[in-house]
Amino acid sequence: MAAIECSGLTKRFGDVLAVDDLDLTVEEGEIYGFLGPNGAGKSTTIDILLDFVRPTAGEVTVLGHDAQDDGELVRQKIGVLPDAYHVYDRLTGRQHVEFACEMKGSNQDPIELLERTGVAEAADRKAGGFSKGMRQRLVLAMALVGEPELLILDEPSTGLDPNGAREMREIITAENERGATVFFSSHIMEQVEAVCDRVGIINQGSLVAENSIDGLRNATETGETLYVTLDRVDDAVRQEIATLDGVADVAIEDGRIRLAVGERSKFRVLESIDDGVAPIQDFEVVESSLEDLFVRYTTEAQEVNA
Amino acid sequence: MSALSIAKKDFRDAIQSRALWALVVTFALLSMITTYGYAEAPELFGSQQEATFGGLVFFTLGFTALFVPLAAIIVGYKAIAGERELGSIKLLLSQPTTRRDVFVGKVLGRAGVLATGLAIGLVVGLIFGAVIIGGLNLYALLAFVALTLLFVAVYSAVMVSISATTGSTTRATTLAIGFFVLFELIWDVVPLAIVYVVQGFKFTTDYPDWAYIVTNVSPGTAYSTGLFALLPDVADSLEGNSGEVSETDAFYQTPELGLVMLVLWVVVPLLIGYYQFNSADL
Repeated sequence: MAAIECSGLTKRFGDVLAVDDLDLTVEEGEIYGFLGPNGAGKSTTIDILLDFVRPTAGEVTVLGHDAQDDGELVRQKIGVLPDAYHVYDRLTGRQHVEFACEMKGSNQDPIELLERTGVAEAADRKAGGFSKGMRQRLVLAMALVGEPELLILDEPSTGLDPNGAREMREIITAENERGATVFFSSHIMEQVEAVCDRVGIINQGSLVAENSIDGLRNATETGETLYVTLDRVDDAVRQEIATLDGVADVAIEDGRIRLAVGERSKFRVLESIDDGVAPIQDFEVVESSLEDLFVRYTTEAQEVNA
Repeated sequence: MSALSIAKKDFRDAIQSRALWALVVTFALLSMITTYGYAEAPELFGSQQEATFGGLVFFTLGFTALFVPLAAIIVGYKAIAGERELGSIKLLLSQPTTRRDVFVGKVLGRAGVLATGLAIGLVVGLIFGAVIIGGLNLYALLAFVALTLLFVAVYSAVMVSISATTGSTTRATTLAIGFFVLFELIWDVVPLAIVYVVQGFKFTTDYPDWAYIVTNVSPGTAYSTGLFALLPDVADSLEGNSGEVSETDAFYQTPELGLVMLVLWVVVPLLIGYYQFNSADL
């Protein structure tokens, strides 16, 4: 049984097609990163999983239950950190978590959960005075109530400082080790890289890529960038290297030659340089950034659609 | 039933409204001042007889008929629209619950807040009155309290239902105030206008029996009519009030119609509000 299964999911708001015939499967036990630029349809998809929004067409099951017909049962088994939520300004941190415990029928200690997410010291203050990061920690504590089988986190790092984002990743990993499936959305690739087993990239309401991080990297032809230190570096050398097979974008950067390797093995390219151009003193391989991959997937898809 | 948990949380939240407590204090002070006036000089308030506790109850109804709708607007208009506008409804609906339970919980929570605020104002006013008048009509008190609770239920249902139809507090405010103005302030002219039209655009002094039903569509009027049904003896003893029910024979032309109207005002808005809320994209 899949943790999340969407088939032919479509949502139209008036003239706007927010989700377009989306098929998505999240397996039990994995950490799945749901990536896409702002407005790609991430939040709408999650809103449908949670039954905040009703689909125009298609089927959605969460943990084997229909998201629309059995919403209460679904939400009993999952923990949610929604997007664009607002806390109850006049209730304290502890009252928020107590409420979640009461709704889920859990007898967990609210303070323990708040300690885990790092806001226990503010437990008896009204949430209206919380910073954005504290609110995020508070709502995460609510999501963890009742040891959910599935965590759905919409942009979990929003408002968190780097330390907070790291703690968030640690909690995600710990929950996954406990046995929970984690589904989270982000528009920042790097956050996904650190924890996800699989990544799906959504753009204009459709999944444009789905793979492991390595798989995504291999599937694109962006390849790798080489930095090579030679005996001498000048424009003549640069032009010579540019004529070699499988080499592109040759440039001089900080006294080194920078080049992109395309369809040829980088070892063959290095050999060619060492033998034919100048002896290599040192070299460095830099993988293309995930940001590049992300931009490539989302903009190319747009070009195709346009 | 998660509706009770939601009602409890909602009560904790909404009871902290400063505007509500400002209104409760105003209500308590005004009711004490005018109760004092009524007890000392009933003739100033249109009564030819000595002040009685029963009379005081009818007198107080004039206040509550205004206070309950106003307090309900303050307490209720944001109940659901506000949560939708801000996004806190997402925290609520992320929990294992249904929109039905959220809706019911909201109505119960806000009714509880309204009843609490009102009870404090009323207890202060009526105890003060009972002390000054030097007597207490227990039956009149209980009947009045029960009827007023029904009136509170009406306005909680109406305002939370209005709030459930929209995700904009601006729109909810407009609808809530619009409801109050139409049904409480200008409703008196509606039966007149209907009769005028039905009579072929002519004024008449001969009112058809059904105009009585139209008049009692106003929840405030139905509330007042309902008190006549519950306390006929007190009503008869009060001059100027006894002529309220004229000598006609239509079966519905009884004070009990007020009670029926109040019950309808609880049920119908709830059905509309729930239907709208349940089918909305939040």
